[in-house]
Amino acid sequence: MAEPITVKGLGKDYGKFTALASLDLSIPAGICFGYLGPNGAGKSTTIKILTNLIRPSRGAAQIFGVDVQRRPTEALRKVGTVIETPEFYGYLSPLEVLAYAGRLRSMTKKDIASRSEEVLKTVKLSGWADKRVETFSKGMKQRLAVAQALLHRPDLLILDEPTSGLDPRGMAEVRDIVKSLKREGRTVFMSSHLLGEVQEVCDAAALIDHGKLLLQGTLEELAKRADATTFQATFLQPPARDEIAWIEALEGVKGVTASGNGSIELRLAGGPEVQAAVINAIVRSGMPLTSFRPIGTALEQLYLEQIKETER
Amino acid sequence: MTAKETLTQVFVVASYEIRKYLRSRRLLGVLVILALVVGLILGLPPALGRSYSSDANRFVGTFAGFTEILVILCGTLFAADALVSEHEKRTGYFLFPNPVRRETIVIGKLLASLAASAGIILIYYLAATIAALAVTGHVTWEIGLSAAYALAYMACVVGVAFLLSAVLKGTITATVLTFFLFFLIFTIVSVALSAGGVQPWFIPSAASGIIGNVLSPPSDGPGPPPYIPDAPTSLAVFAVYFVISAIVATVLFRRRELKS
Repeated sequence: MAEPITVKGLGKDYGKFTALASLDLSIPAGICFGYLGPNGAGKSTTIKILTNLIRPSRGAAQIFGVDVQRRPTEALRKVGTVIETPEFYGYLSPLEVLAYAGRLRSMTKKDIASRSEEVLKTVKLSGWADKRVETFSKGMKQRLAVAQALLHRPDLLILDEPTSGLDPRGMAEVRDIVKSLKREGRTVFMSSHLLGEVQEVCDAAALIDHGKLLLQGTLEELAKRADATTFQATFLQPPARDEIAWIEALEGVKGVTASGNGSIELRLAGGPEVQAAVINAIVRSGMPLTSFRPIGTALEQLYLEQIKETER
Repeated sequence: MTAKETLTQVFVVASYEIRKYLRSRRLLGVLVILALVVGLILGLPPALGRSYSSDANRFVGTFAGFTEILVILCGTLFAADALVSEHEKRTGYFLFPNPVRRETIVIGKLLASLAASAGIILIYYLAATIAALAVTGHVTWEIGLSAAYALAYMACVVGVAFLLSAVLKGTITATVLTFFLFFLIFTIVSVALSAGGVQPWFIPSAASGIIGNVLSPPSDGPGPPPYIPDAPTSLAVFAVYFVISAIVATVLFRRRELKS
């Protein structure tokens, strides 16, 4: 069976502006793939090409081996999408919205009814099933968007910022939904700004900026590629200048910054061995260390290293 | 995608479009206007102490005088925002990623617009026919012909409204332009062409004269003789406008990207 998403040399220009340069991606089945990048990096452009909302200027995108531009209806048959926060027809209720989507996908009335009940329950909209969408908040519309994407039990979910507009509980619920889809063996392609979210639910990720792919791999592979990881070390008394210089000279330490209240931030290169050696050295030196904890994640470090400036 | 599936999708899109007319009360609004027009036509003569025409054609001719406005209203309310709203209101983000061709969406929406508009026109003519039967005691085949011409003009208006809806970026612009194009701009162009000695047979609003003329032919008056359209030419004009507009609207809608 062909891979859920295969993208070759995909590019999109708007006049002289290149939104997407030349993207090559291949997403294997059954994983959750995070698509990371700052605003304007080309994430939404990629997703819009994949869902036939815009045409590529070059290259091709295939879903399960079917070219999206040439045979869009066939390519999108097994796909569920949430793109930005879609608007729904205000005069319809969630049940009617789902019936519309279901009927366009040739689902039977019985299947539409049972699945609508299930997906509305999943996104916690059962109590609003008969209310008109025009009264819904952005978060509720986002929940409905997730519901319609799940309706036909798609093999591939393409989600563009799926937690956008949701409150913290809603975000956690969507993350749980994505995790359960993964358990069911479905493939999820998800763009996000939220690195913690990607770290929590994704198996692999790609990082793009200015329309170019910077990195891609499993989260473990990406974490290893992080040049340095930042930790915060807190002492009983603020370390003296010569003590900071001594720490900075330790092997594996790439930089030290005093951050006030007896704390310093250390950028360490290497893995847990280096962290253990540095902690050991500080403790043996007699400096009164009270805590040592990572700031951010390796993915975040990698992101910040790769995405230097995003001003356009 | 089989032909049966495509056909089903056309009817699904059309049924939800009709639901939009019902829920947004557009259909009700046009029906209210229709009732007011019928009420005025039937109520004013007795109120002013004047009698109805005893000739069925002349009697329904009064109704036909309002047909063009009714047709333009239908085109404006049922067609002008049909395509552009999917982009402007971002509902396309829900609709387009479904396995449905853009052409299918256009045809479904076009069918809904034509059906709703035709329903209004037919109700109007039914009311006129019943009134003619009650007042004059008889009906004529010219009444049916006038209704048929009105339906043809309606298709032309709906087609052009779809074209504007595919070209323009805002629902308000598309709605206002559709209304004024047929209500004002085409009329001004017709008058200007006539004044310049050119017969405006190719302008839809001039061609729509056949709707009333078949019931009560225009009488001679002072000034230069008015342009009197002939039915075959006018019907051909309506058909050309409808077909070309619908095809171009479909092509443009298919090519239009959802960027916002």
